[in-house]
Amino acid sequence: MAQNKKILDLRNIYTYFYTESGVVEALDGVSFDVNYGEPVGIVGESGCGKTVTAHSTLRILPKNGKTVAGEIIYKGVNLLDLPDLQMRRIRGKEIAMIFQDPMTSLNPIFKISDQMTEVIALHRKCNKKEALEIAIETLDLVGISEAEKRITDYPHQFSGGMRQRILIARALALQPSLLIADEPTTALDVTIQAQVLEIIKEMQKKLGLAMMLITHNLGVVAETTKRVHIFYGGRVVESGPTEEIFLDPKHPYTYALFESIPSLEKDKTRLETIPGNVPRLINPPKGCRFHPRCKYATEVCSRVRPPEFKFGKGRRVACHHFEELDLHIDMEAIRESRKAIKEEA
Amino acid sequence: MVTLEEYETVDLFSNWDQKTQPIITIDNLKKWFPVSQQSILFSRVVANIKAVDGVNLFLNKGETLGLVGESGCGKSTTARVAVKLEEPTEGSVYFKGIDIFQPMSREEELAVKRQLQMVFQDPYSSLNPRRMVLDLIKEPFDIHYPDMLYEEKESRVLEILAKVGLEDYHALRYPHEFSGGQRQRLGIARSLAIHPEVILLDEPVSALDVSVQAQILNLLHDLQKEFNLTFMFIAHDLSVIKHVSDRVAVMYLGKIMEMCPTGELFRKTAHPYSVSLLSAIPRPDPRIKMDRIILEGDVPSPINPPSGCPFHPRCYKAQEICSKVTPQLEELQPNHYVSCHFPEI
Ligand SMILES: Nc1ncnc2c1ncn2[C@@H]1O[C@H](COP(=O)(O)OP(=O)(O)O)[C@@H](O)[C@H]1O
Ligand SMILES: Nc1ncnc2c1ncn2[C@@H]1O[C@H](COP(=O)(O)OP(=O)(O)O)[C@@H](O)[C@H]1O
Ligand code: SF4
Ligand SMILES: [Mg+2]
Ligand SMILES: [Mg+2]
Repeated sequence: MAQNKKILDLRNIYTYFYTESGVVEALDGVSFDVNYGEPVGIVGESGCGKTVTAHSTLRILPKNGKTVAGEIIYKGVNLLDLPDLQMRRIRGKEIAMIFQDPMTSLNPIFKISDQMTEVIALHRKCNKKEALEIAIETLDLVGISEAEKRITDYPHQFSGGMRQRILIARALALQPSLLIADEPTTALDVTIQAQVLEIIKEMQKKLGLAMMLITHNLGVVAETTKRVHIFYGGRVVESGPTEEIFLDPKHPYTYALFESIPSLEKDKTRLETIPGNVPRLINPPKGCRFHPRCKYATEVCSRVRPPEFKFGKGRRVACHHFEELDLHIDMEAIRESRKAIKEEA
Repeated sequence: MVTLEEYETVDLFSNWDQKTQPIITIDNLKKWFPVSQQSILFSRVVANIKAVDGVNLFLNKGETLGLVGESGCGKSTTARVAVKLEEPTEGSVYFKGIDIFQPMSREEELAVKRQLQMVFQDPYSSLNPRRMVLDLIKEPFDIHYPDMLYEEKESRVLEILAKVGLEDYHALRYPHEFSGGQRQRLGIARSLAIHPEVILLDEPVSALDVSVQAQILNLLHDLQKEFNLTFMFIAHDLSVIKHVSDRVAVMYLGKIMEMCPTGELFRKTAHPYSVSLLSAIPRPDPRIKMDRIILEGDVPSPINPPSGCPFHPRCYKAQEICSKVTPQLEELQPNHYVSCHFPEI
């Protein structure tokens, strides 16, 4: 029997929030997987369910939120069935998470050493002294210079980029198998983002980590992941190898998203736009959730949820009309303009 | 309806020669914020945050100058001083040849402010939440044209709402009832209401989702054409800057490092900081593999900026002179200004 390649397999997840104004259908039948050792991207605009996906996986939803259906299979076990105590062991030790804002995940009143050694000692079953050594070693690994000295500093003594490195170190020190990084560089400036991404990529490769990288930055996914899942309105609309999807998107939303970003390669005075706004998930649009904004929508789109079509090497698209559409990014034009830039230089 | 120009009572700018003079010239502008230490009896200034520390730049009538730089480098402060929301510590801002910080009558002061407007990143915090849209957009008329009839003000408000893509009924709503993109439309409408000549846009799309960002960028493009507006467009996203700007100024630690036509910034990048900044951008095309220059460390504090060239501690070209002598912004090639001892051109 072939060994299972999947470390994480989300099957048909429904996560709802119960609020005064109604039920928020935040995840509406989300399915995707992450393979062992593979960096996977989760992409979408704000409010499409990226963070809720991460929180559902780790079972750290707020009180008013609940995963009401589906399976989250991690290393063959459905996390939704695990007793709380066992789930607590999964968090950190098996699946580590880093968040967008490094300040809120570090406690300002404790030294870095205190915030690292305790969890390390607990999860790696070692004493405080060994834990401290591990902490220093991982801080060093992520590029905190003089880690031995700096480990007794407080969070505010570090810059945003350094704090994000500390969080990465803290996550990696537990030797997890899967790292969930939720917008890890969104709050950082571009030169600092480049530093942090470099470290994440290096660590991912060196440690053979599986990674779920959540971001709205298409550049970041393109450079960091091998496979990508595109989210819209609480659903996965398109999945597949990153390179293929970026060059040849099949879902009208994916296509429109790519065309609406200004690019360093294209020269255009007007951008393609997607009319309207991202949907709110209380009473979301019926049928295909993208239909009110979609150029190609027909009557069926407003009524029937599009099935998922599988094709090629692991590609999936949820659109009624994807086979009839001829969407393609004008790569020729991009190549031309890039050549022109090179020649002039 | 009479044109707004016919309301004009002062003629301050008759000496301005559009053909040869920039519409705005910023000359060696400094804005320092004192940091004081409080004791029981007195407080004394112990240091200065050198937010803007000798900025030189100019805007030509009808163009868009992009101002790019990492957070905290002084972009917003530069803009706030340039529209006279704050006083400079040193240096001057000339609008149509007039030094706007010279003593002037209230009428003259209003005449300057009428023509110089600003749009903010977070439209929500810049719009009074308790006031109806109608009143919010009418306010500039109340200030600048107190004698204008109410009916005229009202019809002008509706006219401007239509220009930014909103409907009549939006006039009776409150800011919280709008989405992020619509709020930015409100911010733009408010700045545009009294037909200014120059609008300084401070990160107007940074908080928006990409699909909405594209709508706003297109709107700004159309408005600029229609009203012959001059824009200074502040952003930290170089792809956005490239898309909107005719010329770009790159800022670092309170100073302009490079200023040139947009195409040249990408083809003939001269300043090592610009080179590093361009190299740090993650590209949304998985096939671009680049040799990235990863800058070491963080941006130094503006309280105690490095001596000489502020970029020298992180610069790959720095020599001894860089830490001793501050390079001046010089026109190395026609219309290409660089402040560096060892520029790449
Ligand atoms: N605690 C909550 N209560 C109600 N709704 C929530 C809560 N958390 C998230 N949501 C909703 O769930 C949807 C998905 O949110 P999220 O996963 O945070 O989006 P993102 O893709 O930006 O990370 C959004 O519509 C959001 O409003
Ligand atoms: N009112 C103020 N008082 C004290 N410091 C300020 C004030 N406004 C800005 N600064 C500081 O000045 C520097 C430049 O800020 P800003 O102009 O907002 O930068 P940017 O817009 O490029 O992010 C920052 O270090 C900021 O903290
Ligand atoms: S002046 Fe020196 S330190 Fe500054 S950018 Fe140029 S080479 Fe680098
Ligand atoms: Mg999120
Ligand atoms: Mg700013």
